[in-house]
Amino acid sequence: MLNEKPTVKSTIKGWLYLLPMLVITITFNIYPIIKSFLMSFYTKYDFYNDIVSAYGFSNFTYLWNDPDFHLAVRNTLVFVIGVVPLNIIISLAIALLLNKIKFLAGAFRTIYFLPFVTSTVAIAQVWNWIYHSDYGLLNYLLGLVGVNPINWLNDPKWAMPALIIMSIWKGLGFNIVLFLVGLNNINTRYYQAAEIDGANAWRQFTNVTLPLLSPITFLVTVNGVIGSFKVFDEIFALFQGSSGPSKSALTIVYYLYEKFYTEWKYGIAAASGVVLFFLILFVTLIQLWYSRKHVHY
Amino acid sequence: MQVTFKDVTLSYDGKRDILKHLNFVIQEGSLVCLLGPSGGGKSTTLMLISGLLAPTHGQIYFGDTDVTKEDALGRKVGMVFQNYALYPHLTVQKNIEFPLKMAGLSRADRAKKAHELAALVHVDDQLDKKPGELSGGQQQRVAIARALAKEPSILLLDEPLSNLDARLRIEMREEIRRIQRETGVTTVFVTHDQDEAMHISDQIMVLHDGHIQQFSTPKTLYASPDNLFVAQFIGEPVINSVPASALSHDLAGVVSDDILSRAQTAGIRPEALTLPQRALDPLTTLHGKVIEFDQFGRESTAKLDYNDLQLISTEMGQLPHNTQELDFTLEKKGFFLFDADGKRIFGGDDHAE
Ligand SMILES: Nc1ncnc2c1ncn2[C@@H]1O[C@H](COP(=O)(O)OP(=O)(O)OP(=O)(O)O)[C@@H](O)[C@H]1O
Ligand SMILES: [Mg+2]
Repeated sequence: MLNEKPTVKSTIKGWLYLLPMLVITITFNIYPIIKSFLMSFYTKYDFYNDIVSAYGFSNFTYLWNDPDFHLAVRNTLVFVIGVVPLNIIISLAIALLLNKIKFLAGAFRTIYFLPFVTSTVAIAQVWNWIYHSDYGLLNYLLGLVGVNPINWLNDPKWAMPALIIMSIWKGLGFNIVLFLVGLNNINTRYYQAAEIDGANAWRQFTNVTLPLLSPITFLVTVNGVIGSFKVFDEIFALFQGSSGPSKSALTIVYYLYEKFYTEWKYGIAAASGVVLFFLILFVTLIQLWYSRKHVHY
Repeated sequence: MQVTFKDVTLSYDGKRDILKHLNFVIQEGSLVCLLGPSGGGKSTTLMLISGLLAPTHGQIYFGDTDVTKEDALGRKVGMVFQNYALYPHLTVQKNIEFPLKMAGLSRADRAKKAHELAALVHVDDQLDKKPGELSGGQQQRVAIARALAKEPSILLLDEPLSNLDARLRIEMREEIRRIQRETGVTTVFVTHDQDEAMHISDQIMVLHDGHIQQFSTPKTLYASPDNLFVAQFIGEPVINSVPASALSHDLAGVVSDDILSRAQTAGIRPEALTLPQRALDPLTTLHGKVIEFDQFGRESTAKLDYNDLQLISTEMGQLPHNTQELDFTLEKKGFFLFDADGKRIFGGDDHAE
């Protein structure tokens, strides 16, 4: 029944359905989150015996004063702003084109999905070659239009753009597929009505396609923003286990990784994780607030 | 605007023709109903007029202008879709305003017009709702308001009243008729409901099997159907159709032998079978048995057995109780004979032939 009132029995039944899912989520998601929150307040920690002798805010003050962390935050923001909007615009454009040529859509869907299912390491290897300063495809193509070779991976100025370009490319496939699904779900009758109402192709796009696609765009944006904030393996693979020339591609998660695995500063690593958590939470809340007004379900 | 179809053929898939060599003229300022069974091509015809579909062959004219090559954007018609097609993300007001916005009207003008139209179709208390929050009938009325908003010279309505209750339906059809008369907009109205078509149209076009079966005034359509299909399609209860041979004995001398020999099917409207004392313009008298007699309110139907064929009459209200056998009159008006191709060869307007 659509308007059934919850009873004790139906509530218990509901929770029972959720139980398996809850057990897994609590063990592998909720518990680690709580643990890392706690860990970020460890100031004296004997990790051999798992004994905490002091709690405090010193991990956070450390981050506040660490220029490396500032750099990591700045790089992460540059990365997010560089990747997400371009990724969305390009994948929407490609999806629109594919949607027009229906008979190609099937084949292209598979092709564009490949980057999504291929391992990041393999992709980074290929891009390593594309970016190669002497033999790289990209420099060859730029050379054709008269641009001097760029040392993509070793020049601190170009490392971040190189990372952004590769990440945009890597994210395209998944988003194109999502946009294609969204476009397919828009009934052609709305376009017919809009045409009758005097909307040309562009106004049909802005008045029908964009608003009716907004739930997908929202999903893609939130997903893209969160994913980009957490960027790590692309950096690790592209710069072969470093954070780029002169740390030019050091991001928050890379910072966390270094603190945790190479410097064994667990408290600081956890604290940077907490900062990242709130950063993502803050941005996501802004997006949710924005979606209230502009996303049409 | 006058709409002319010249030899229009349409096929969706290039194999099967949905409309075959359609020729017709819809007079400027008239209200024409497209009537026909489901899948007969009514919506398709509307789409052709609107420009959303291009004909496979043939030309379409608005007035004297050939608009065959123009798309919907250029033809500027108003249209209510069978499934309303209201923009789900816009409020009722914004939906009605949409064509005006596209036409570049100012915000204030749009709002004013939208309020007027909403009042006209009785949705002025729903302006801030989204289409998803409206009932089917309310959505339909919003769609009508939206189609009227741009004051089109041709208004196309695809079953615009199908989701309304009986009373509102009658009210809205009168309303559409009134608006149509007032604005003089050439209107094409698709409906399944022949009663609706009979009441509001200047002319009715019956579409079936990709052909126009008949295109005439409602009166002519009923009084002189061109063929058996139209005779059977129009009229409630359905016309009695029996093999002409069963009547040949009673018709001998009344109908010429030549016609009788060609006649395959006889069509008898239920009101063409009356009691002899109430007959107006009798053709002949038949003899039969009463199988069943039902009275519903002020209407009655009698099932009669004539030569082992069942005939239905609606004019036997005065039938004495317990009548078993009787003589009854076959009226001229409402009796037709059709040949083997279904073409009318006797009865109707030109039954002097
Ligand atoms: N987009 C389409 N592609 C292929 N065939 C179609 C399409 N639209 C309609 N048809 C076919 O064309 C024929 C006429 O359809 P149409 O929608 O014009 O009928 P209709 O008279 O409006 O019927 P209804 O009263 O059920 O609305 C049907 O046989 C239908 O299968
Ligand atoms: Mg239809």
